[in-house]
Amino acid sequence: MSKLQRFTTWMKGYFHLYIIGFIFLMMVQYLRSVTPLFVQHIIDHIFGSEASALPTFITRYLLGDSVADKLLIVALASVLITLIRLIFVFLNRIAFATFMETVAYRMRNTLYNHIQNLSFSYHSHADTGDLIQRTTTDVDTYRRFIGEQLVDVTRLFFLVGFAIFQMALMNGIMTLISLAMAPIIFTTGAIYFKRVKHVFDRVEKAEAKMTTAVQENVTGSRVVKAFQNEKYEMDKFDETSTLFRDESMHLTKLMALFWSSTDFIIFMQYTLTASFGIYYTVMGAMSPGQFIAFLTLLGMVVWPLRQLGRIIGDFGKTTVALERIDDIMQHRSEHHDDPAYQPKIEGHIEFKNVTFQFDDDTKPLLKNISFEVKPSETLAVIGKTGSGKSTLMNLMVRLLEPTGGEILFDGTNIQNINKKHIRQNVGIILQEPFLYSKTVYENIGIMKRNADPEAIERAAGIARVHDDIADFDKGYETIVGERGVTLSGGQKQRLAIARMLLHQKPVLIFDDSLSAVDTETDLQIRRALMEHWQHTTVFIITHRITTAMEADKIIVLEDGEIKAFGTHESLLKEQGLYAELYKQQTQLFKEEG
Amino acid sequence: MQHRLEEETFQDMSLNLSTWKRIFSFMRPLRKYVMLTVFFSVLLAIADVTYPLINRYGIDQIIATGDLSLLPWFIGVYVIYMFFMFGLVFCFIYFAEKIQHYLSYIIRKNAFRRLQELPFAYYDRTPAGWIMARMTSDSRQLSDILSWGLVDITWGGMTMILLIVVMFILNVQLTLITLTVVPALMVVSYFFRKKILKAFRDIRKQNSRITGAFNEGIGGAKTTKTLVLEESNFNDFDHLTGRMRKHSIKAAMFASLYFPTILFIASIATALVFYYGGINVYQEVISIGLLYVFVSYVGQFFDPIMELANTLARIQQAQASAERVVSLIDANPDITDTPEVIAKYGTIENPKTENWEAIKGDVKFDDVTFKYKSGEQVLTHFNLDIKAGTSVALVGHTGAGKSTIVNLICRFYEPSDGRILIDGVDYKNRSMHWLHAHLGYVLQSPHLFSGTIRDNIRYGKLDATDEDIIEAATLVGAHDFIKTFEAGYDTEVAEGGARLSVGEKQLISFARALIADPKILILDEATSSVDTTTEFKIQKAIETIMKGRTTFIIAHRLSTIVSSDTILVLQNGQILEQGTHETLLKEKRHYYKLYTNQFKQTSLN
Repeated sequence: MSKLQRFTTWMKGYFHLYIIGFIFLMMVQYLRSVTPLFVQHIIDHIFGSEASALPTFITRYLLGDSVADKLLIVALASVLITLIRLIFVFLNRIAFATFMETVAYRMRNTLYNHIQNLSFSYHSHADTGDLIQRTTTDVDTYRRFIGEQLVDVTRLFFLVGFAIFQMALMNGIMTLISLAMAPIIFTTGAIYFKRVKHVFDRVEKAEAKMTTAVQENVTGSRVVKAFQNEKYEMDKFDETSTLFRDESMHLTKLMALFWSSTDFIIFMQYTLTASFGIYYTVMGAMSPGQFIAFLTLLGMVVWPLRQLGRIIGDFGKTTVALERIDDIMQHRSEHHDDPAYQPKIEGHIEFKNVTFQFDDDTKPLLKNISFEVKPSETLAVIGKTGSGKSTLMNLMVRLLEPTGGEILFDGTNIQNINKKHIRQNVGIILQEPFLYSKTVYENIGIMKRNADPEAIERAAGIARVHDDIADFDKGYETIVGERGVTLSGGQKQRLAIARMLLHQKPVLIFDDSLSAVDTETDLQIRRALMEHWQHTTVFIITHRITTAMEADKIIVLEDGEIKAFGTHESLLKEQGLYAELYKQQTQLFKEEG
Repeated sequence: MQHRLEEETFQDMSLNLSTWKRIFSFMRPLRKYVMLTVFFSVLLAIADVTYPLINRYGIDQIIATGDLSLLPWFIGVYVIYMFFMFGLVFCFIYFAEKIQHYLSYIIRKNAFRRLQELPFAYYDRTPAGWIMARMTSDSRQLSDILSWGLVDITWGGMTMILLIVVMFILNVQLTLITLTVVPALMVVSYFFRKKILKAFRDIRKQNSRITGAFNEGIGGAKTTKTLVLEESNFNDFDHLTGRMRKHSIKAAMFASLYFPTILFIASIATALVFYYGGINVYQEVISIGLLYVFVSYVGQFFDPIMELANTLARIQQAQASAERVVSLIDANPDITDTPEVIAKYGTIENPKTENWEAIKGDVKFDDVTFKYKSGEQVLTHFNLDIKAGTSVALVGHTGAGKSTIVNLICRFYEPSDGRILIDGVDYKNRSMHWLHAHLGYVLQSPHLFSGTIRDNIRYGKLDATDEDIIEAATLVGAHDFIKTFEAGYDTEVAEGGARLSVGEKQLISFARALIADPKILILDEATSSVDTTTEFKIQKAIETIMKGRTTFIIAHRLSTIVSSDTILVLQNGQILEQGTHETLLKEKRHYYKLYTNQFKQTSLN
């Protein structure tokens, strides 16, 4: 899909609203350019004998016998014209608002959905802050571009155009004189705002620096106090705060200079128009009413021109925003071309010479991994940080795809099975589980909305997290996650286990999922779980030997290779890495024992 | 915490004068600029009201009489006006913004200073995000409304007064007729402004929810994928964005009613001038120039009214910001030094180190009771006597009172009853700064600041030399891994720099504590597991830094517990048992049970 196409699909079905909005906008601006002509009509036409500058569709109704009647009708007509104009203003604003909000709504939804479906490797390399910036600020930049900036530019363009048109109808030479400064006013704005962009950037940078300083101070308040560095922190903060203030003042000086100098140029234009206007009027080339109308119409040219220049100088931002959004859309969804096959999964899993390496890595994370697990067996994978344990599990739920070899579920290569189907059948409890900004109740029942509260409490009980929850102010109704109460690592892990307990899965993976729970509770939970999931094929990833030793089979992983495979007893006998780890982790007790 | 956040939605729209008085007090140093801003705003109002009068001169004196000899004078006045506006516009923008930036600087400075003075407990109950918002958006919003509000009120008020005065001088009858629409203008302006601001605040709220949802969608991607929650998440999100669209369109509808309504009222005023003014001109009671002035003035009337309405509504909106900022700046540090102590020991900013006694390191709890403000009692009649240079391991379940004891020693909290003595003197009789200068604290999850490894170690002692830093790092066994980095000690620890493992961060935080050379050391051991080699290194480091210091350890590692001089087994704020590893094991009571359950689970199999 080309870039332009992508951005227009979001407008589909609503584009006519946009066009209608612009048509209304044009009519509004035309009627606005007509208002200064009423004074001209009164002075030149009613009091004098000159022609009215008002368009004929209005003058044809402006009849009356006496001057008083004529004035009354003109007064009423001016109110009526304003009223019509206001109805159009209202309608065009609604049209634009509906259009731009719909586009923004669709963009947000598309982006959210797309990001959710981007591959795991995309996410593990992505910079969260930057992605959020793109989905919020950049979307807003685009929204404002189509709904505000483009509309403003068009509005001002129409206004300037119609005002010039009305002037030209009255007096050609005076119109040219009144436009003498126009190019300068317009280009000053456009050039100036391009030029000061880097000053804006500097202010933003200074502010970000200051914000970081506060952030660090607040999150590290214990350290600050522990080392009584309060004074040092105050000085450090004062430095950034002063810098921000001074950079802002620098920008202020530039902005004040811009506004005052453009005012100067604009009044220079007024001087020209007024002086020549008076001269021509006295010489009889122009009527007094026209002169007054000119002064008002001039205001509809010069002030908007300054705005126009300013907005156009700012256009660059939108292109950058669009490119950044497009960059996200260019990545394929991981479900693109995924097979639909959804076989029943029994839990027989086989790895055949599986190798995995990231594109941008020089060395594989996993090399020739082969093993087999039968339904309802328990397999432990033990190894140090960086040995490839987690990669192994990520491959099993197709978060990553092997670069060599194959993984079979009940004899079928998992590349031929639907991804979501696999993930629905293979439960995985992560070391750092994510909790959503919902209540505890909703978090536990996240895969089964409106689950029975009793079932949830039972699950929380088995996972040994019920007492913790009961201690919260609002119990199961406590909001957790980013917008709620912060839970400890161990509480999160236990909630994640409770979340999984509501379901029966043929395959289950514990990815170091009890690492933050103390050993005693760990043991209790594992006992309870083994009972609950006795018909499930269970994988346990751990670096605790005491956790691994209970499994039916144990894999010792080092540097992406299987170093040993067997039972606790057989591995101990081998006197390899496993025995060494065992010694290291238990020697502390042996001394005493 | 929850409760606290909900409190923030202020429904009351009435003005809280004491809050604003407090905020105004921050403007005192800026008096000069306030006066200048007012002065230039008044000048601007005068200039605005004068402008149509210049043109009237041209219309009535030159055009009407045909006397071109006056034209040079007319041009001269215009040129003067041109230069006048140039200077005026520059000055009022400059001074208004000067107030804005300096005021927000002053607010930030006060708030930050208060944050440094506030006790640790404040951070415990106040979310970091709340503090951040006060320091950034609230202080910005407040200074913006105060500086530009000042301009808008003086300019708007002055313009209206001048317009009315000049109009009355020019023609009483026309003025009275025109002014009939002003009350309607004011009421409508104020009504809409309030509604619109409220609608936009709702939108901002929705917007921050959407940002939050994106944050979750991205941060929780792995969990979402593994639990296959894409669809249900998307439905929630669609609900959110759908509501946002609805609210935005509704707000736009309000906003698009406002301006037209004002314009409509104004057009009635114009029509009145057309009719009555026109008749007067026809009857030659007034000149054409005067008609022009009145038409212009009617047009000039809405700007100040709209600005005033806008400012008033914004001040009401800003009230919430003002209250929150004041609540931070005036937050009471409930733990402070007495005036006598300050007189002798000085303050954080000006410590009188010459009066400070040396410290030995004896720590004694004398019948200490501690309750939280909520009433929850954590320690009851607690007694403990620790000799300088010895180590104490605090053992017990979560909630047993381990962290409370530590927080009390650090004077992050003070005993509700009883005394804590350092070298035999109640620590309240010496300054907090004195205590903290001799106290080291190593956290469970090491917190490093952005900056280099060197900066982070130096944080323990700001005047440490590079040699001191290397020595400290070597002693805790961090030197070896630091050397392996390309930039060595100058490696950045923050994002984009070296990715330090938890264990490595811990070693750096040990070095930081060591370089401070405290007499009393608090160690909150990490529960999180690190690989065995690192664990071994950490254990060695702990042994090194404990030497010669009174050490309190919230212990999780058996080796640490075993090697400490005293073990305190705590439960519900009481000491269950106290003794060495050997004696406690022999007693076969609580410690024995804990020990066998927690550390000897191998034997269960």
